[in-house]
Amino acid sequence: MATQRSHFEFDPGFEDNRLRVAWYAVVVVLVAVGAYATYLRLTGGMATTNLTSVVPWGAWVAFYIYFVGLSAGAFLVSTMANVFEVEGMHRIDRDALFAAIISMAVALLFVWIDLGRMDRMYFPFIWRQLTSALSWEVHAYVAYIAILVTELYFSMRIDLARVADRTSGLRETFYGALTLGRRATSEESQAFDQRWLKRAGIVGIPLAIFMVHGGTGVLFAVSKARPYWNSGLFPVIFVISALLSGTALVMMIYVLRTRLFDGESVDPDLLDRLAQLVIGFIVIDAALTAIETFIAIASVHPHEIETWQVIMYGPMSWSFWWFMIGFSWVFPMVLLSKKSWRRTPSVMVLAGLSVVIGIVAVRFNIVVPAQIMPVMEGLPHGSYFPTLVEWGTSAGMIGVGLLLYTLGAETLPLTPITGGDHE
Amino acid sequence: MSTTDDDTLPGIPNVGKADLDAMVENERPDPREELADVEADTDLGVAMAEDAQRVARGELSGDEYWEKYDEAAAAEFGEAYCETPNPAVDAGDQTVTTETAESLSCAVGSMDTVSTESAQIEGDESAGGIGAGDEKWGMVIDLQKCVGCDSCTVACKSENRTPPGVSYNVVMEEEHGEFPNVTRTNVPRPCMQCDNPPCVQVCPVSATYKMDDGVVNIDYDRCIGCRYCNIACPYGARYFDFGENYDDEVDGAGELTSPEYGVDRGSREEGKSPIGNIRKCSFCTHRLERGEEPACVETCVGDARNMGDLENPDSDVAQMADSSRAFQLKEDEGTDPNVYYLK
Repeated sequence: MATQRSHFEFDPGFEDNRLRVAWYAVVVVLVAVGAYATYLRLTGGMATTNLTSVVPWGAWVAFYIYFVGLSAGAFLVSTMANVFEVEGMHRIDRDALFAAIISMAVALLFVWIDLGRMDRMYFPFIWRQLTSALSWEVHAYVAYIAILVTELYFSMRIDLARVADRTSGLRETFYGALTLGRRATSEESQAFDQRWLKRAGIVGIPLAIFMVHGGTGVLFAVSKARPYWNSGLFPVIFVISALLSGTALVMMIYVLRTRLFDGESVDPDLLDRLAQLVIGFIVIDAALTAIETFIAIASVHPHEIETWQVIMYGPMSWSFWWFMIGFSWVFPMVLLSKKSWRRTPSVMVLAGLSVVIGIVAVRFNIVVPAQIMPVMEGLPHGSYFPTLVEWGTSAGMIGVGLLLYTLGAETLPLTPITGGDHE
Repeated sequence: MSTTDDDTLPGIPNVGKADLDAMVENERPDPREELADVEADTDLGVAMAEDAQRVARGELSGDEYWEKYDEAAAAEFGEAYCETPNPAVDAGDQTVTTETAESLSCAVGSMDTVSTESAQIEGDESAGGIGAGDEKWGMVIDLQKCVGCDSCTVACKSENRTPPGVSYNVVMEEEHGEFPNVTRTNVPRPCMQCDNPPCVQVCPVSATYKMDDGVVNIDYDRCIGCRYCNIACPYGARYFDFGENYDDEVDGAGELTSPEYGVDRGSREEGKSPIGNIRKCSFCTHRLERGEEPACVETCVGDARNMGDLENPDSDVAQMADSSRAFQLKEDEGTDPNVYYLK
């Protein structure tokens, strides 16, 4: 690293070595816990969960739609830079794309571990069902990941080429390989990349909104047997809460990586812009959720009313009031209310973290309550809280995501290289 | 207690072995009389039967028997004899020597090879097979006759050998009103075998589908265990097999399984389907295929459950399903169940 720094400003990774060790220690603990829990899951089968035939979907499904949302949201933030060319957003383009890729990988891990027959995970690519939202979704996810990787490549390639030019040996091979042989650093090559980046983004936007996340909402909304999900607004709220969590995540990552990895100061204008986006999404998310709730309650459909009673007053109502209302809407809204706070990195990290945690509760409150009320009078009521195995595996898969993200952030030029021959 | 012959126990007839043998002999039909009704040669039939008893007693060997009768049987029965596998010739359990087997007039091979071949022929023509019947199976449950005894649930569990947590049939018990004006309705709930099944609609791998006879099948070899159908079923009729067993209650609980949807999967083993799959009532397809009623229908103490062909207007179920008392569960869901109730 030292030899590089002497002639080239490319030093991704933690500034503070002690922080690096501490962070990796945390991540390794998460992954180790997850590995043990996964071992228990694999040997004990689905019986290691608290799922039943009454509540067949639980924590893993909630985390799956959470990470799909995080990914779709982060991706849509990236398009502000590379498709809509919003000024000053280019700085967070790659951060957002890379976070979107990792989130999607984590989401797929959650889908995988949730399957009763994990060994048959590839079956949806062999046999299909045109009327099944889930069948369409798995294909959309693959296409979406391909778009994300393509975009990250075109966004980052020129800097990979620059780094490869200035390093030697293994590092040169590594970065050279990532350019896929396109080592030119000329302006034409950059223009070519940007053109294709935009094109991929234009394909990606409808894919992310309507197929990947809207589609995941549709997956639930088509269940006529569950009136709580069975609404046209439901997939829309899905997309809005995805945008909310994705923007909050990108805002948090932007501050943390700029401070801890690049050792630079945060651009208060960019931070303010992201913060205002978060405000907008909170307002829309809360308003649409209120409309959805009102329609449900005004319908006086007993199943709807009872489900909302479970959400608001049931044994898990703390997750609704404290996490969904508190952490994802009210608390961040307070932090975002003052202009000076919106320009303060530490406050915005807190606001971002609050939303990112709060939306987890939003996802749980989507998945679980609809399964508590029996589909027919006379059938048993459901009750569900994840087992330690479910929590442990979830922690492990999130740990894998954090590990992959950190390794990427420590090696890839996620911050556009300033300086060098093109500046 | 005294054990002399005179001292009989009350209620137990005092008969000796000779009496019993005489009773059996009395009941035994006369072979000549029986065989007179069929076209085949009576003398040959009686001779073959008597010698077959000798083979059974060990007085005559299988080889001698077949050498003695092969020609006569071929002459008497012709093609029917030559094209039918001889039960004495069998790959695993042959009772005659190879030389004798080869010298026999029936040259089609053992029972095993013939049954395999005929199965292949059926497969090639893609006719037949499970669920391909002409009937459209339907069930009608008379709620006025149902006493809520749950014996259908028990019969189902023992017929289909479902594990803990999986119960293809349940009886939903509803109590309405306040004491003393209370009514109780028992609504047995199998799989509705809907004409528009939401479970089939959502399965991402088409592992669950309608068969020609109207029964919704689950292909345990394809199901990935995502439980989307479990979520989508408006009747709560689908159950996930979490791999639990009745081992604490019954020794060797998993040794026998039911040949659901006509597939014999042998003993229940960890990691082997249907563990990790979704399961549900199949209208006892395996029983329907051999002409039997589903276990719940057969066992119902009040004769409340009826099974039959809904497309045959003369059938009991079609007429009952047409009556003014008939209704389906959640009719407004548009699922159009093939299970009807009589109110």
